[in-house]
Amino acid sequence: MATTVERDRPGGDDRPGAAAASGTEPGVRARFTPSPLGWAARGVAWVALAWLVLVFPLSREGFELQRFSQAVIYGIIGLSLNVLLGYVGQISLGHQAFVGIGAFTSAYIVTEQNLSFWAGVGAGVAVGGLQALVLGGVSLRITGLYFALVTLSYGLVAEQNVFQIEELTGGGQGQPAPKPSGFESDWRYYYLCLAFLAIVLWVDWRMMRTKAGRALLALRENPRVASTFGINVKVLTLLAFVVSGAFAGLGGALLAHNDTFVSPETWSFNLALVFVIMTVVGGLRSRAGVVIGSAFFALIGYLLQKFPALQDGLNAIPGAPDLSREIAPLVIGPILLLVTLTLFPGGIGQQIRPIVGWLRGRRFDLRDRGPKEVQITDVRA
Amino acid sequence: MSVLETRSVSIRFGGVFANTDVSLKVGEWEIVGIIGPNGAGKTTAFNIVTGFYRPNSGRVLFKGRDVTDLPVHQRTALGMGRTFQNVGLVKGSTVRENLVSAQYLESDYSVLAGMLGSPRTFVAERGLRRKADAVAELMGLGDILDTQVVGLPYGVLKRVEIATVLATDPDLVLLDEPSSGMGPEEAHELGDTLLELRRELGISIAMIEHHVPLVVRVCDYVYCLNFGQMLAEGLPDEVRNHPQVVTAYLGEEAENPEIAGAEKQLESLLDSE
Repeated sequence: MATTVERDRPGGDDRPGAAAASGTEPGVRARFTPSPLGWAARGVAWVALAWLVLVFPLSREGFELQRFSQAVIYGIIGLSLNVLLGYVGQISLGHQAFVGIGAFTSAYIVTEQNLSFWAGVGAGVAVGGLQALVLGGVSLRITGLYFALVTLSYGLVAEQNVFQIEELTGGGQGQPAPKPSGFESDWRYYYLCLAFLAIVLWVDWRMMRTKAGRALLALRENPRVASTFGINVKVLTLLAFVVSGAFAGLGGALLAHNDTFVSPETWSFNLALVFVIMTVVGGLRSRAGVVIGSAFFALIGYLLQKFPALQDGLNAIPGAPDLSREIAPLVIGPILLLVTLTLFPGGIGQQIRPIVGWLRGRRFDLRDRGPKEVQITDVRA
Repeated sequence: MSVLETRSVSIRFGGVFANTDVSLKVGEWEIVGIIGPNGAGKTTAFNIVTGFYRPNSGRVLFKGRDVTDLPVHQRTALGMGRTFQNVGLVKGSTVRENLVSAQYLESDYSVLAGMLGSPRTFVAERGLRRKADAVAELMGLGDILDTQVVGLPYGVLKRVEIATVLATDPDLVLLDEPSSGMGPEEAHELGDTLLELRRELGISIAMIEHHVPLVVRVCDYVYCLNFGQMLAEGLPDEVRNHPQVVTAYLGEEAENPEIAGAEKQLESLLDSE
């Protein structure tokens, strides 16, 4: 059963509905348009943002720039998990397998079959979607915790079996995955990743603005009501699962070619945890939040390395374990997750709402916390 | 031909016989009331008609077609719509979003085209929003289109819910206690609305309702269920005065002439509108 809790968010009362109640008609209040100065300020902010994403990483090179590409790819993976966790309300604890299979498929196609990078990425997306179709077709008749357990064991099976097939994974040495021709340099590949992220964002946006997305939101909240709208709940849930798998496969393929190499050890359960945490901390159902949260988690290790002071500071905490770059996300992540779940259920997406609103030409409103949300316990049992 | 017909439908949950040999008919353009004490199996009957439950025996015919084995969403596609006792809406969304969501089958583009953002879907979406506005206007909800459903008063929610059902373009609407949470005046207005909907849209209505004045005013025919069985059926006035119905509602003592006075009093109470 889905448990529904109406949760009043701080400041949520003065959202649109309240305007009607307090007597001022919603349509009558003049629309806010920024002054020329306001537009200029917004323009500057947009340019700064574009510089940060498009230009700044180019001042880095090699390994460092690859970390920025990885951050972009993590954005894609976060959006993939957001489809499941945010839109359908099902949790996947085996997402590292989805991503990993995409990575190995693409590396295999390019290295062993001598086909092009594009064929590899295409195959990664297709296989990602296909495995979701098969796994979902079998296991989506159960939901919630039990579904999470199925995905968990799927991840372990993939780790122990699929990733041990030497022909696919190249055994212990891993499978080489060269960068595509025309995108050999790290900065070109970085832009390629950005382009793919843009495509994923577009698909996600259009999905949520058309019938499939509305159907998902309806069935997440109340499958019975959704079915009276004529929505085939099973098919739509499976569709979302396939979309999520395809996005994950794409992310995996891009990751493989970013490191020019895939190794079976990469795809451990730890990674699945990081994926879930970064998506929730980013903010379910908020595209911008999820991308920012995912990029942050991809960059934690890099930041610790780049700013030794940070690392020293963390190590100076009495009794704290040695925070190596590998386990830093797994220590920082749960702390942020706790903060998110208890104080800001909307994650980063909720925090940046006033800024996003301002950038879009609305008034800067610190109380803007988004719609009053009906919280469904995000895992439906 | 009747729009809806159930033929001696029975269902039991463990040892509980929730519906036994329930046969009812809703003719074209008819408004049919289903009354009965709490726990009589009225909502169970609705759940069987709409496909949430599969009956142990008996058939459900919709527009002459046997739909007993069809899932809920396919019955919606055939033109069956329903509301829920505890309000079936997507509470996190606005009224308009609900009205657009309900037009899932009316959106004539594929799911994939929508995801890829084909230009046609943008045009189609505008059409869906226009229809949502029109339905809201019909139900007098024009002012609250952009209001989130959470926090609206219960009586308004019931109207919003009827609007979403209309947005699915139904031929038959099943309403589960549409007037609950409404005061007498609101309930009276609801009666006007239902009669108007039948006149304007040519739909048939079956409704579970406790508010007797509303039933008597709008229903052409009434069924009374008790303990999962059909107790009585007929014209509203007949059923209301049917001795067994009175007993079912008021208990055995009502047949005792000594407290007939109390019964009279209660009846006049029910009539007072």
